[in-house]
Amino acid sequence: MADAQTAMTQLKEAYGASIAEMTPINGTPRLRVIKDDLPQVAHYIHTHPHLRGAMSLLWAVDHRPREARYELCYLFTLSEQKDWLLLCTDLQGDDRLFRSITPHIHAAKWYEREIRDMFGLIPVGHPDMRRLVRHEHWPKGSHPLKKDFRWDTVLERVKGQHAFRRIEGEGVFEVPVGPIHAGIIEPGHFRFSVAGEPIMQLEIHHFWKHRGVEKLFEQQELTAAVSLAERVSGDTTVGHSLAYCQAVESLLHLEVPRRGRYLRSLFLELERLHNHIGDVGAICNDTAYALPHAHCGRMKEQIMQLNDRVTGSRFLRGVNRVGGVGIDLTREQLTQIVAELDGIEPDFTELERILFANASLTDRLETTGVLTEQTAWDHAVMGVVGRASGVDQDIRRDHPFAAYVELPPKAVLYRYGDVRARMRVRLDEIHESIRLIREIQQRIPQGSVLTMPTEVPAQETWALSAVEGWRGEILYVVMAGEQGKIHRCKVRDPSFVNWPAIQWAVLGNIIPDFPLINKSFSLSYAGNDL
Amino acid sequence: MRGMISERLTRKENMFRIIKKSLKTGVVTGKYPRAETPVVPVVQATKDKTKLFRRSLTIREVDTGSCNACEMEMNALMNPVYDAERFGIHIAASPRHADALVVTGPVTVNMERALKDVYMQTPDPKIVIALGDCAINCGMFKGSYAVTGPVERHIPVDVHIPGCPPRPTEILKVLSELRDERRRSDD
Repeated sequence: MADAQTAMTQLKEAYGASIAEMTPINGTPRLRVIKDDLPQVAHYIHTHPHLRGAMSLLWAVDHRPREARYELCYLFTLSEQKDWLLLCTDLQGDDRLFRSITPHIHAAKWYEREIRDMFGLIPVGHPDMRRLVRHEHWPKGSHPLKKDFRWDTVLERVKGQHAFRRIEGEGVFEVPVGPIHAGIIEPGHFRFSVAGEPIMQLEIHHFWKHRGVEKLFEQQELTAAVSLAERVSGDTTVGHSLAYCQAVESLLHLEVPRRGRYLRSLFLELERLHNHIGDVGAICNDTAYALPHAHCGRMKEQIMQLNDRVTGSRFLRGVNRVGGVGIDLTREQLTQIVAELDGIEPDFTELERILFANASLTDRLETTGVLTEQTAWDHAVMGVVGRASGVDQDIRRDHPFAAYVELPPKAVLYRYGDVRARMRVRLDEIHESIRLIREIQQRIPQGSVLTMPTEVPAQETWALSAVEGWRGEILYVVMAGEQGKIHRCKVRDPSFVNWPAIQWAVLGNIIPDFPLINKSFSLSYAGNDL
Repeated sequence: MRGMISERLTRKENMFRIIKKSLKTGVVTGKYPRAETPVVPVVQATKDKTKLFRRSLTIREVDTGSCNACEMEMNALMNPVYDAERFGIHIAASPRHADALVVTGPVTVNMERALKDVYMQTPDPKIVIALGDCAINCGMFKGSYAVTGPVERHIPVDVHIPGCPPRPTEILKVLSELRDERRRSDD
């Protein structure tokens, strides 16, 4: 009932005076709202029972040198038909202040702090004004995404310490973990407050790996930045490059050939497969059950070697190009892929049987790290983690891209929100991915795979693109600059949204279960830190 | 629901199932295409340095800003297919237990201090291996405000393994060269 159109009418009735302009952009309705009224409008969209808009993305754009203004854009996903709704507002001239929406919409908390760090705009009323991306040793006034900040600035190191939230009292201890961890994983800092065994509070202090990806995009040409997108988060090479390519394609009005779209779906599912299989093994390993870890490691390796044989890259690097895919597969190669998966599927099903007949495993998984449906909704959690907590969302179904219009996937949904549910989502998705790949092999049409870009996009036009990577929804906003360059590229990996949710999922659990919970979320540090 | 197991198995039945699966799977170790000679050979001075470690090498992996593909390949080294443990290559949980540091990624502004700390914490004699293009020359992230330079700018590097990311076979090849000459592996 509440699609974007009715939402527009409804909003116009309720907040007509605050809305300056209503225009659709690439099919997404956009409302330009007066700056000071934005929190009310956002709150209305978020809480109205017919709309229930989840905060999907919040980004800022510095329009200088053309215009002296900053623009803030708030993207909501309406809960029923998953339509997008965009709110925009301007900060004219030297205005640096905007009203925070975090007190009402928790999902905005990190986005607003990120905007403060990267642009120097201040979210007035934000409950947590500490730095997020810039650690405390960064000099004051360094806001990398401002246009007057040079991309190759050498930063000075100043003194400063991060102030963690502290719980004090008798028998309360603080346990610091990281940034360098015991396993072969990425750096991040976790600060636990414990009383005895149970965790009372966890604070995540990330962004150790901040490499300035968004600023680096701004130095590149639209058609050349695909390889940078592939390296945002290495394990999601296809997901990120595909989201980037799609955004640029809609800027250039490029139509990807049907065969190209099928191949994109194929590669995306292969990536989902090897990552999910690896994660299932790693979850078992974190309960000290080494056997499935070994089997899963073997199957994951099998798929990665298959990737290497058909595309020349174990991570499927270089397959996505602006306009389609760079590699066409022969009929034999497609048959080879399906034959390999025909071997893996029964192999994996056997393993599943062994897993769930093991009581000591299920005992560790059940009721561990519960993320409730309400918390998941409050933090707009998505992807595998969301679908394990009853958040029914899958971009492949809600906003079909690549070949998913013709190959609708069955969305998986569980409600318990514990580690077991997150594992179950992965197991079901593994079978679903294999089914999709078989279908792709049968239905893939003949023809070309790549359309070459011909035009240069108009300056200041921008496009939004969404891809369901194996972790969840990857969003890219690409804005064209002068002469085919990028003016702004907002990258949003699902990890950025799901990381804060761990802080709630671990409460009341014991520290030895933290690695297990963390692994069941399986989030990227690189994609989060950018 | 597929895969949902309602059947109740006794411990013994499941054990037989596990054994059956293991027998069916057989040995998968070594089933990978072999790597050619490393692009950047290991110099003699480094080989002399690692002589003390004899046939084993204990590694601490440090990520200073990689895209996590190098981490995935390091993890793959420990899977049953590559099984680096069979050559005496271990992953240590702490730098204080390590003979070698494997560093991946360009060194970010935020990780610079942590990297230096880890280096100080690793007991001598030690070697440092820069894994992947980013660790060697910052790769795509060269020049960024958030990157302070390649690993070599901060700590001395003994071995370079280029690639984006290098394949596990290539990593294994180099690591094998660092072990005692008399017991070279079949790779």
